[in-house]
Amino acid sequence: MKRAQQWACAVLCGLAAAMVQARTPVFELEIRDHLFIPEEIVIPANTKVKLVVINHDVTPEEFESYELNREKVILGGSKANIFIGPLAPGVYPFFGEFNPRTAQGRVVVE
Amino acid sequence: MRSGNSCRGLMLAVLTVFPAVTLADGSVVDKVYHPYVEQLEWELEWRAVQEHNPPGSAAQRQATHRVGLGRAVSEFVFAEAYLVGREGSDSGFTIDAWELEALWQLSEQGEYLLDYGLLFELEKYRHEEIWEYSTTLLLERELGRFSATANLGVIYEWGDDIEDEFETAAALQARYRHSPLLEPALELYLGEDTRALGPMLLGMARLGSRQALRWEAGVVWGLDATTADYTLRAVLEYEF
Repeated sequence: MKRAQQWACAVLCGLAAAMVQARTPVFELEIRDHLFIPEEIVIPANTKVKLVVINHDVTPEEFESYELNREKVILGGSKANIFIGPLAPGVYPFFGEFNPRTAQGRVVVE
Repeated sequence: MRSGNSCRGLMLAVLTVFPAVTLADGSVVDKVYHPYVEQLEWELEWRAVQEHNPPGSAAQRQATHRVGLGRAVSEFVFAEAYLVGREGSDSGFTIDAWELEALWQLSEQGEYLLDYGLLFELEKYRHEEIWEYSTTLLLERELGRFSATANLGVIYEWGDDIEDEFETAAALQARYRHSPLLEPALELYLGEDTRALGPMLLGMARLGSRQALRWEAGVVWGLDATTADYTLRAVLEYEF
């Protein structure tokens, strides 16, 4: 009986996580010619969001931000999901570690 | 993430097993692992743990060094091989074991309430018939600039020169992300012969494109008579 309760709890947690994910706002970010497009993404405060990063270049790029506590490599011609937040209002810079001089951007939280 | 739902069942299974086994003997003070893999990354690592006045040993000091080379073999799996050397205040340095490990990231960072992963480790002593295998559940939660990490391990030791047994070990870390160069942390280690708590400093210096040096250093103090008086811990990782 106890085991059944544990599995029921796990299933409910899974459903709850799926529902939360379904409500997560999605923002798209592209990488073209070693640039992040758009450079600035505005997201709501205190809300978790999903960034879908699409790398159109043939070379890999890494989305990196100490302020956002995220590092994620996106291979050439592929895409990756990056979950950020909930965040307090402010400006959170990010850059591409493979091309740090050109690939720069910021998340503005309002 | 595809493996997310199946992992919840696995987590439950691992946690269900925990009460049935004993805590790990010997010191379990080591590195606290985080459940993340950085694709395409290579890593050259040195880490050392030095116990002072460890109970059950005539040596005043006892040190374990690990030198490892690792590589992300996929988006979510990192593999590393180590040579393990040990020395005491009454004995010289010898390389007496090798170790293989694989870290499997099971959720995207920030996707769920907890980020989770699994760590698999296999160690074989060179001059003794002693094997050790462990599976460790890695959990992490970000709370603003704080990050809390838990490593919950189940260990199995076997061989002609050791009593076959299951053990458990736990390591907890609370870290404040002050700046890339300096992150203060507090760590707690629990095992059969380990109850230790102490501060750590962590940091990372970028050396160029796709190159970084990560470091960790600190001391944990024994909280009971079965633990060394204090244990120094240090890590240097060159990522490229």
